Amino acid sequence: MISVSPKTILDSTTKIDLNNMSAEQKALDIKNLDLYYGDKQALQDITMSIPKGQVTAFIGPSGCGKSTLLRCINRMNDLVDHCRIEGEINLHGENIYNKHVDVAALRRKVGMVFQRPNPFPKSIYENVVYGLRIMGENNRRVLDEAVETALKSAALWNEVKDRLHDSALGLSGGQQQRLVIARAIAIKPEVLLLDEPTSALDPISTLTIEELINDLKKQFTVVIVTHNMQQAARVSDQTAFMYMGELIEYSDTNTLFTTPVKKKTEDYITGRYG
Amino acid sequence: MDNMNIGRHISGQFNEDLERVINHVMQMGGLVEKQLSDALTSVCDANEDLAKKVLKSDESINELEVSIDDECTRIIAKRQPAAGDLRLIMAIVKTIADLERIGDEAQKIAQVALESLTKDHKELLLNLDNLGRRVLEYLQLTLDAFTRMDVDSAIKAHKTDDKIDREYEALMRQLMTYMMEDPRSIPQIMSVIWSARALERIGDRCQNICEYIIYFVKGKVVRHSSPE
Repeated sequence: MISVSPKTILDSTTKIDLNNMSAEQKALDIKNLDLYYGDKQALQDITMSIPKGQVTAFIGPSGCGKSTLLRCINRMNDLVDHCRIEGEINLHGENIYNKHVDVAALRRKVGMVFQRPNPFPKSIYENVVYGLRIMGENNRRVLDEAVETALKSAALWNEVKDRLHDSALGLSGGQQQRLVIARAIAIKPEVLLLDEPTSALDPISTLTIEELINDLKKQFTVVIVTHNMQQAARVSDQTAFMYMGELIEYSDTNTLFTTPVKKKTEDYITGRYG
Repeated sequence: MDNMNIGRHISGQFNEDLERVINHVMQMGGLVEKQLSDALTSVCDANEDLAKKVLKSDESINELEVSIDDECTRIIAKRQPAAGDLRLIMAIVKTIADLERIGDEAQKIAQVALESLTKDHKELLLNLDNLGRRVLEYLQLTLDAFTRMDVDSAIKAHKTDDKIDREYEALMRQLMTYMMEDPRSIPQIMSVIWSARALERIGDRCQNICEYIIYFVKGKVVRHSSPE
C-alpha cells in the first residue's frame, strides 16, 4: 500500500518560492528595470523572477505599465520613439538588452500574441509555417508536421484540418486567435507573451483559449497580461499586481486572490476605490 | 461593520448586497441569542409555554439560514468576490451554519422543560442554569465580536471555551454522583445531562464562529491550532 500524507494530497502542485528560485527554475529574471517614454517614467524599478513552465499574469488598472513590461520582454519597446530602458531582463542568465543581442533571434525565443487576432492574409497553412519559412525551412514534410503539431497544440487542428489551404481570414475571432497562437508556437519559442489575448473574444472562445493556456504551459513559459481579474485567477500560477508603473505585489495566484498583503492589491481585486 | 470595509466598492449594488446579508446574519444572531436565553429560562422556571415557544421559533432561524445561504450563493455567482470580500462570504456561510446548530441545541434544552422535572431537582437545575448563563454570555461576546469583526475580542472570546469545558466536566461529575446516590432519579438526570451537553456544544460552536472572525480579519485559518 502506498502511504500518502494529507499534505501531498492537498498540495498537488509544487509551490515555488518566488523570492528564492534556483537558476534552473527561472525563465526570466528582471532586475531594477526602469522605462521612460521621453520624460515620463512608465516603469519604476521592477525586479521579479518569472518561473519556467508556469503561467504568470500581470494585472492592474489601465496605464499601470503591465503591457509595457510585457513588451520589454521581447524588446517590442525598441520600436517606440523616445523610449529609454535601464536595468536588466535576463533570459538564461544573459541580459536581452546587451548590445550584441540579435533582436530577431530573441523574438524567436520569446513569441508574442496580441489583443486582436492578426492573421496574415494567407492560408491557414501558410500562416503557421510563416516563421519557419523565414528561418529557411522549406522541406514539405517538416512543414506539414510542424503545422499539425502547432495546430494540435493550439487546439485548432480538428476544426481546420480539412481546410488548411483556405484563407485564415475566414476563421472566427476565437479560431483566428488560436491560429495566431499556433503561428507563435510553431517556431518553438521558450516564452510566450500574451497581451490580453481574449479581450476581443466571446466568453466561450475565451474559455477555449484559457484551456489552451493551461496546456501550453507544459511546453512553454507563459506570461499573460489581462484586464480580467477572474481570468488571471483562473489561468495563472502566479500573479503580479502593478500600479502606476510599480510592481506592488507578486505572489502565487491562490494567495494573491484570497489573502493579498498590500492594501492597494486588496482594493483593486475587490473593486474598491483606490 | 466598519472593519468589514464594505462601503467602498465601486459598485454600490455590491455594497448593498453585502450590507443586506450582514444585517440578516446579525438578525439571525439576535434570534439565536433570544432562543438560548428563553430555553434556559423555560428550564429553570419550568415554564412549559415558553419552552413551546422556543420549539416553534426555531423555524424562523432555519428560514433565515436558508435565505442567507441563498444570498451568499447569489453574491458568489454574480460578483465573484475576492480577497477580504471572499473571506467575509466564507465566514458568513460557515457562521450561519453554526448559528443554526446553536438554535437546534437551544431547542434540545427547551425540550427538557417539557419533561417534568420536580422541585426535588432544584439544585440540579441551578447548576445547569449557571453553566447556561456562562454559555449565553459567551454567545453574546461572540456575536458582538462578529458585529464589529473585532479580532481581539474574538481571540479573547475564543479562550472562554476552555472554562466552559471545565465547568461542564465538573457538572458531569456532580450529576454522576447524584445518579449513584439515587438511581431512581437517573431518567431526570439524563435530561439534565442532555441539556448540559447541548450547552457545551454551543460553546464549541461559538468557538468556531470566533475562528471564522479571525480568518476573515487575518486571512489565517486557526482551526485545530492556537488563535494566536
